[in-house]
Amino acid sequence: MMINPVLLIAIPLGLAFIAVVFKKLQGWILAIGVAANAFLVFFVEKGETAIGGFKLPFAISLVLDDFSFIGVILVNVLTLAAVAVAFRKTEKYVPVILAGLAGLNGMVLTGDMFNLFVFMEITAISAYILSSEGRKPEQSFNYLVIGSIGSVLYLLGLILIYGQTGTLNMSLMAEKSALIGQAAMVLPLVLIFAGIAVEAKLLPMSGWVRGVLGNSNALTGVMFASVYSSAALMVFGRVFSQVLIPGTTAGVIIIVIALLTFAAGQVSAFRSKSLRQVLLYSSIAQSGLAAALFATGFVFPAVLVIINNAAGKMIMFSTAGNLEEKYGTDDYVGLGGAFVRNMPAGVAFTIAALSLTGLPLVFGFYAKLNVLAAYLNQGTFFVPAVVLAGTIIEGAYFIRILIKLWAPGKEGEWADADQSVGEKKIFNPAGTVVVILVTLLIILSGFLPDSVGKLVAPGGGLLGDEGPSISLTMEKGGDQ
Amino acid sequence: MNLNLVIIVSVAFAIAAYLVSKVNDKAGAFMTVAGSMFALVTVFLLRNSIGSEISFLYFNFNLTVTGWYFSLVMLTAYSMTAFFNPFWMKKLIYPAGYNFLYLLSMAGTLGVFFAKDFITLFVFWETVVWSSAFIIQMGKSRQAAYVYYVISAIGSMATLFAIMFAYGTTGTFVINEAFKGLAGYPGRAIVIFITFIAAGMAKIGIFPFHVWLPSAHGSAPHTFSPVLSGGLVKMGAFVALLSVTAFPAYEIFKDMASFRGIPLPIYFMMALGAISIVAGTLMAIKQEDAKKLLAYSSVANGGYILIGLLMLDQVGFAGGMMHIVNHAVASAAAFLSIAAVAYRTGTTKMSEMGGMIHRMPVTYLVYLIAIISMAGIPPMGGFVSKWLIFQGLADKGLIFLATTAFFGSIGSFLYVFRPLSAVFLGQTFTRDLEKKEVGFFMMFPMLILTLLSLLTGVFPNIFLRVVVEIQSAFGMLPVTLAENTIVTSNGFLDAFRVFIVFGFGFAIAFVLFVIRRKSRKVELMDTFTSAEFIHTRELLHYSHSFYAPFERLYEKAPDTMKLYHKAAVKINELGNMAESAFFGIRPARTVLLVMGMVLIVIIAGGVL
Amino acid sequence: MIKFASLLLIIIGLYGILSTRNVIKILVGINVMEIGINVFIIAMGFVNDGAAPILSVDNPVNVLKFVDPVAQALVLTSIVIGLGITALGLVFARKIHKKYGTYDLSETGGES
Repeated sequence: MMINPVLLIAIPLGLAFIAVVFKKLQGWILAIGVAANAFLVFFVEKGETAIGGFKLPFAISLVLDDFSFIGVILVNVLTLAAVAVAFRKTEKYVPVILAGLAGLNGMVLTGDMFNLFVFMEITAISAYILSSEGRKPEQSFNYLVIGSIGSVLYLLGLILIYGQTGTLNMSLMAEKSALIGQAAMVLPLVLIFAGIAVEAKLLPMSGWVRGVLGNSNALTGVMFASVYSSAALMVFGRVFSQVLIPGTTAGVIIIVIALLTFAAGQVSAFRSKSLRQVLLYSSIAQSGLAAALFATGFVFPAVLVIINNAAGKMIMFSTAGNLEEKYGTDDYVGLGGAFVRNMPAGVAFTIAALSLTGLPLVFGFYAKLNVLAAYLNQGTFFVPAVVLAGTIIEGAYFIRILIKLWAPGKEGEWADADQSVGEKKIFNPAGTVVVILVTLLIILSGFLPDSVGKLVAPGGGLLGDEGPSISLTMEKGGDQ
Repeated sequence: MNLNLVIIVSVAFAIAAYLVSKVNDKAGAFMTVAGSMFALVTVFLLRNSIGSEISFLYFNFNLTVTGWYFSLVMLTAYSMTAFFNPFWMKKLIYPAGYNFLYLLSMAGTLGVFFAKDFITLFVFWETVVWSSAFIIQMGKSRQAAYVYYVISAIGSMATLFAIMFAYGTTGTFVINEAFKGLAGYPGRAIVIFITFIAAGMAKIGIFPFHVWLPSAHGSAPHTFSPVLSGGLVKMGAFVALLSVTAFPAYEIFKDMASFRGIPLPIYFMMALGAISIVAGTLMAIKQEDAKKLLAYSSVANGGYILIGLLMLDQVGFAGGMMHIVNHAVASAAAFLSIAAVAYRTGTTKMSEMGGMIHRMPVTYLVYLIAIISMAGIPPMGGFVSKWLIFQGLADKGLIFLATTAFFGSIGSFLYVFRPLSAVFLGQTFTRDLEKKEVGFFMMFPMLILTLLSLLTGVFPNIFLRVVVEIQSAFGMLPVTLAENTIVTSNGFLDAFRVFIVFGFGFAIAFVLFVIRRKSRKVELMDTFTSAEFIHTRELLHYSHSFYAPFERLYEKAPDTMKLYHKAAVKINELGNMAESAFFGIRPARTVLLVMGMVLIVIIAGGVL
Repeated sequence: MIKFASLLLIIIGLYGILSTRNVIKILVGINVMEIGINVFIIAMGFVNDGAAPILSVDNPVNVLKFVDPVAQALVLTSIVIGLGITALGLVFARKIHKKYGTYDLSETGGES
């Protein structure tokens, strides 16, 4: 039974409006909406579906191909997880979350560039409202301002391209833009990049991240860092790997900016003393890495990085948000020993950190290997060196946090459980279950990475990437 | 019984140890003993399967003689130390976690030594790194665990770079093939060689990566330091070995500039090893804490091992391989005896102990034999390996390296003697007068290790025969062994005869001791003070400022740790700069950046 | 001509956002920018001597030259989005005022 992809957008949107009316049933409506979406994702009709009875390519279309399938799974399942972990915090934001979910699905599914803009704005508005939870309205306002500037730039770039190609449909635009010279495309490309860069947390539009994510709680942190981030990066991938492939000039600009984002994010994380700040800068760095990969045409590793980051940040931000709530601080020096009586949360956080650093036995290693292999197969070794240097720094700051949170105690004395900051439980039972499930997935896919690889490869292949450079389980004896 | 089963069962033991420890920590610790003994015995029995290959998921293993040799050394360190575990459980913040990680890291090392391709090697290597980092943090210093991880990461990432780079060039990960194709790319070969060996250097603790060793080995839980020093640094030696055998360094670099037949990149590494010997020795002499002193001695001995292995010749290489066994055994024994003393007295600071020979004579004996071996004095094993290394260096005419090696040997006598006299000899502190020797369960592993030290010294050929197999496997000319002698171009060594001569000397001295008058015991505070009261017993202690005149010679020596601190500070500053420049809250700056970007693009686009 | 005027409007709006610390003024700047981009879009879609893209009394059948309707549809959507953003911006402005008693961003908490 295959359903129309529009339902993935329509259901949460409809439920959002119903939730406004029936305030008392909000919790149920949210649960049903999110669960239904996560379930229906697997039954959607594949291919390009035109909306409104118009004919392609003049109609607005929703495209469910291998690439957007990954995106749609990520968005819906992660929202389900985020809501499950922090259910109590969703109380005032049910319509916003549902509307945002609709927007996110739309962003990933759409096949029309202006439709993308509309959904990006819907998502952005829901993001602005979610960010206002943080009790720092000037941060939300700042976010709104940067977002508006970004959307204006995006529109400018879009209109310029529309003027050149005469179409807004993504696949048609991809064909037509290949015929136009590179020089004409550079400016619009850069403008569109600036527009998407806001949500994707790339320089120079990432000024809002510190304020918003730095004051997030367990729900909003996860939503921003996992859900919104993944969707934005998948959109980035779609636009810059398929629709508007950057030529040399624009490509170099984008890659340099993305790598700069990566490096700046890592060093900024290194100097941060606050747990959430470290995590948000790490997210910025990972976004930069994924963007650079997309811009070079390495879609497969980019998607692996996105998945790895989403899963890991989900665990870490929910832990950080809860710690801040329970102990009133997220300065990790002051949270020494928080994991002492909190094994599940601690282990989950540790596995997530190890995965983000790319240590073996967990999924992140597979992602990292493919990132390095993609570049080194090509013969570039500057970028892998930068990536590895960033990994050393990332490992350093994560291990610093882990050591602090696991082993309290003065220097020169044995680690002492009595020095820990407290014994409050970090997650409620439901949250613990979700977090453990995600952890198990990370570990499992670390041992059987090719099962994930096979899922992701067709999407990558669609956009011109030949697929996994490293096929681990199929390598008996180390041959390719 | 195959390798897969050994590793899987070890991991199963690890999980079982964790669960049992949740109920009763001591029982969990006994499980670590069982698990490590199991691994030791089964791997020993795998001797007959050497040459076979096996796989599990995406890990591929290859049972080589070299791997068997290294893993036996490692497992000896793990299993003997495990006997101490049950007595230290109450000091640990996570006894269950400790037991789990103990066995997990052990399983990891097995994977490293038997890996067939680099992915397997790297996966298990990193597993060992993070599981040992989490154990170190349970000890006396969190900073130590952090520094350990960071320096290890620098090494590992460099090695990962080398592996992936080689993969990009040759298309395979299999250890024996991945580097062969590099002969045609000399520039790349140098880069890959240097980055590949980096992880090994970081793990052994070669200058300039040695800074983590003293703090990590010194502050780790007492029952893990022997494993770190006796076992885990040998993992680094394994990578160093691979870097000259699997990466046929001498072949690839044969057209390069060389010094007395050794290509410059390799000579550079050996020079770093020599610097480690000197640095380690000098720093060890200064130390006040017994464990830190032994840690610095591991740095020095690591230098010896590296030089020996990199020589890749008939004699020096055999010396390096033999030294791996000798140092592992001796170092583990020394750390264990210090741990035994710490168990009874609660401290490892040498100024707070004294005269323990009267209370713990067996421990004293263990320590004495261990340090005789470490200093390279016959009839213990250390002598044989150092003799071989010296031969190799002298034969090749490597004056600088040989000088540092000799210096290190002499200096090592200085520093190993100090804990002996401080902790065991001299007068006993009053509070220790009632302390007893440690129980049998702790004495057992120490005695086994001592016997091994003796064995390697008296019958070295038992081990050298395995080394000969390894040398043949790598295509080297193996060291010549006759009945019980080692024959080199400069002469031969019959270790058993040396032992007999020593036995005679010892017997004569013992007879003299028995028939002569005994010395009179004097209490520590029983000293001439011209009616002043003495308050600071520590200053009167026999070993206080033991080598002060010598230490004054190099008081102002630079500290490598400061270099790392500066680097960390610089990265912090870079982060501050990045944060204020790029991630500031005001939209103005970011938008101006965009405008600038767009302008550049328009101009560039117009020009193009 | 109109295109340049609208680009000028965008730049004025941008300048307005960057040069002031007053929340309301920033919102006005955002609005000016959005007007600018909307006019730009319409101007891009304009065809000289083109007819309106509607079947009417003047044009009962399809005409060859007509103004691009897609651009105008885009603008309609954009105007509505701008409305939503402005409304939300005003809500945030009220929140800032409630918390800090002022509409001036330089008097709020500063960085993060």
